[in-house]
Amino acid sequence: MSGVDWHSVWTVTLDHPLFSVALTLIAFQLALALYRRSGWLVLQPVMVGMLLVVGTLYLCGIDYASYRADASMIAVLVGPATVALAVPLYRHIRRIQQLFWPILITLVSGGVLGVALTLAIAGALGADLSVLMSLSPKAATMPIAMLVAEQLGGLASLAAVFVMLTGVIGTALGPLLLGWAGVDHPAARGLSYGINAHAIGTARALEEGDECGAFAALGMSLLGILIALFLPLVLG
Amino acid sequence: MILKGLTWLVVLQLLGSVIHLSLLPALPGPIIGMVLLFGLLLLRRGIPEPLEKTAALLLQYLPLLLIVPAAGIMTSSEALLADLPAIAAGLVLSLVVTVPFCGWLMQRLIRRMDRRTEDQA
Repeated sequence: MSGVDWHSVWTVTLDHPLFSVALTLIAFQLALALYRRSGWLVLQPVMVGMLLVVGTLYLCGIDYASYRADASMIAVLVGPATVALAVPLYRHIRRIQQLFWPILITLVSGGVLGVALTLAIAGALGADLSVLMSLSPKAATMPIAMLVAEQLGGLASLAAVFVMLTGVIGTALGPLLLGWAGVDHPAARGLSYGINAHAIGTARALEEGDECGAFAALGMSLLGILIALFLPLVLG
Repeated sequence: MILKGLTWLVVLQLLGSVIHLSLLPALPGPIIGMVLLFGLLLLRRGIPEPLEKTAALLLQYLPLLLIVPAAGIMTSSEALLADLPAIAAGLVLSLVVTVPFCGWLMQRLIRRMDRRTEDQA
């Protein structure tokens, strides 16, 4: 009996479609464990998981196109999950009705100002058009930002990175900036966290209290919808 | 239970994608699906249990699902690195303005509304 040809076993493993699926599942669980143990906002599971996947693909010499094709059985659920974002939004309907105008005015002016400033500054410093189009939806939650960026001619993966950066930077600077501006109303603080730092800001807002957290979640969901509906129409 | 909720979400996404392809090319299909679902929930005045469970499950694992498209950065890292100073400045400076602005505006509007309701009382 001759020995097993380990080289061909290795090649067969790498070529198997389930390799990409297993890699994604393992990377996510490692990233999640790291995030929970450390408690650091910077170590967002998507970011760390993505880096683990990219690192492994590089080391094994697999290109992104074949990884994406094999892992599509995971990615196919992104669409239904995006549709499902309507459920948390609906839960806030009572709060939205109570403070309809303050919420709407703040969301629209804050959202427009954020997009305009980001595009103006990055554009003035010479960023590429596809980079700008990926930057514009960065205040939305990730699935929305990725869809909108692609719709506008940007890159979904770049948008994902920008969403992460915005969330981490906004959450890190938030308490300081809101303190300077003399904002102490929990609903106002929460809404600002949600508008500017989406899910990461919402996690921070929940630490400040229930009302703050609820308004952050509301700001995040509503701004996501506004960006999804109007950005493609305005910039497209 | 989960399957029932998932069926709803998939059908709505399909409907959204058909509308995207035939009527509204500016909006991505899943986003139209989300708006349709929101409209349905408003009409129904409540969230059906299967949908609630499926949505909670999917949204809990959203980071896992998003790793796949996010890893596409390996094909576009050059664009990211080339424009890094412009990107960093755009992100940080806009946040420095909008975080205090949104908080300040919302606080002002809430206080104004409170004062008005007090006046009426």
